[in-house]
Amino acid sequence: MNAITLSTTKPSVNDAVNDLKEQCGDFKPKMLLFFASSGYEPGSLAGAMKDAFGDLPVFGCTTAGEIGNGSLLKGSIVAMALNDRIIEDLKVGVVRDLSNPEGIRTVFSEFESYYGQPMTELDFTKYVGIILIDGLSGAEERTMDRIGDLTNLLFVGGSAGDDLRFASTYVFADGKAYTNAAVLALLKPATEFDLIKTQSFIAMDTTLLPTKVNEEAREVLEFNGKPASVAYAEALGVSPDDLAAHFMQHPVGLLAGDDIFVRSPRQVSGESVFFYCNVKEGVDLAVLESTDIVADTRAAVQEKLQKLGGISALINFNCILRTLDLEDRGLSAAYGSLFSDIPAIGFSTYGEEYIGHINQTATMLVFH
Amino acid sequence: MIETIIRERANGNPVLENTTRTKLVIKGFNPDKYTATSEDDPAKIAELKVIAKDMGITL
Repeated sequence: MNAITLSTTKPSVNDAVNDLKEQCGDFKPKMLLFFASSGYEPGSLAGAMKDAFGDLPVFGCTTAGEIGNGSLLKGSIVAMALNDRIIEDLKVGVVRDLSNPEGIRTVFSEFESYYGQPMTELDFTKYVGIILIDGLSGAEERTMDRIGDLTNLLFVGGSAGDDLRFASTYVFADGKAYTNAAVLALLKPATEFDLIKTQSFIAMDTTLLPTKVNEEAREVLEFNGKPASVAYAEALGVSPDDLAAHFMQHPVGLLAGDDIFVRSPRQVSGESVFFYCNVKEGVDLAVLESTDIVADTRAAVQEKLQKLGGISALINFNCILRTLDLEDRGLSAAYGSLFSDIPAIGFSTYGEEYIGHINQTATMLVFH
Repeated sequence: MIETIIRERANGNPVLENTTRTKLVIKGFNPDKYTATSEDDPAKIAELKVIAKDMGITL
């Protein structure tokens, strides 16, 4: 066993961390990744994790629910310890202020010094990144954009949550809890690895063209030259008053070849539609129709299982909207069980990261 | 310009070509929507120049 999963629901920080440490036993991790309910005081948790695991690279974030033990959990901490048979090397960096456009470059300079090669020259088949980012910062798009500008390496991850309180989210590294920040980990796996990006939607024949947007506010004022909520409702054949009730099953998506990058509407305000991520003016969006999350995710995981010939560790960044949809349909247990035979942890995110910032998607990092 | 950006970043690697295309789609430039005969839009060209610069590409 080269990766072990740990979990605890003990309510106090110290008891919870001691429980995790005990579960780790004699296992010798190279890194430890953890996802914690926002019910744990972030600063205390970060410090206690460092105290418990010493100089080991330990990083993580707060969640809107955890994934572990083949279940969707709440109010817990889940962790994964990976040894040097999976992780040959890693370097963790923190972007401490997401409003600073040079923050990514600073962390990348640390990576370059550590690995002795420019980020533009590191081989994307040998290195992979994890990103955990403040889920209330609204900075995910420009952060992922900048990462994509500066390297060909792929960073996969999620936006930290806070159990749907929408007050503050945290990322953890170096024994500290940070807000308005991102933790980046650049891994050099010792084994084969791959990424999964799965969303359960198909594109309908209808498209919406954003003709007036406030990009920073993630607001669309007009689609197709009409008030946004009116045009969206027309596209679905529903009344504008009922539009929001159809958002979960009918978000919109950017089409990149055969792939869909989902943009999920959040609310109607006046005649505007607000989204959970940026929408670009003048870029067509396909209206989407939901399919079966459990079946689609099972197929995506099985495909990687067959390709890699086995999965020794899986990290799942699963959108909170998927989690809520699964709960509504009574499918949480069925979804969790997809991961019961694999060492897997994850969390319900406020957004997923893969090339860009996306919604209603699960992004996963898998190791052979 | 779009094809130059893709070519420079991908350096002949089809996986990187696909990734770079996706990055451009997310930035608002779907390569499939532009051809050599597409009308030159000065604002779009200016945006592409900024993207190329951000990506470290000399056009």
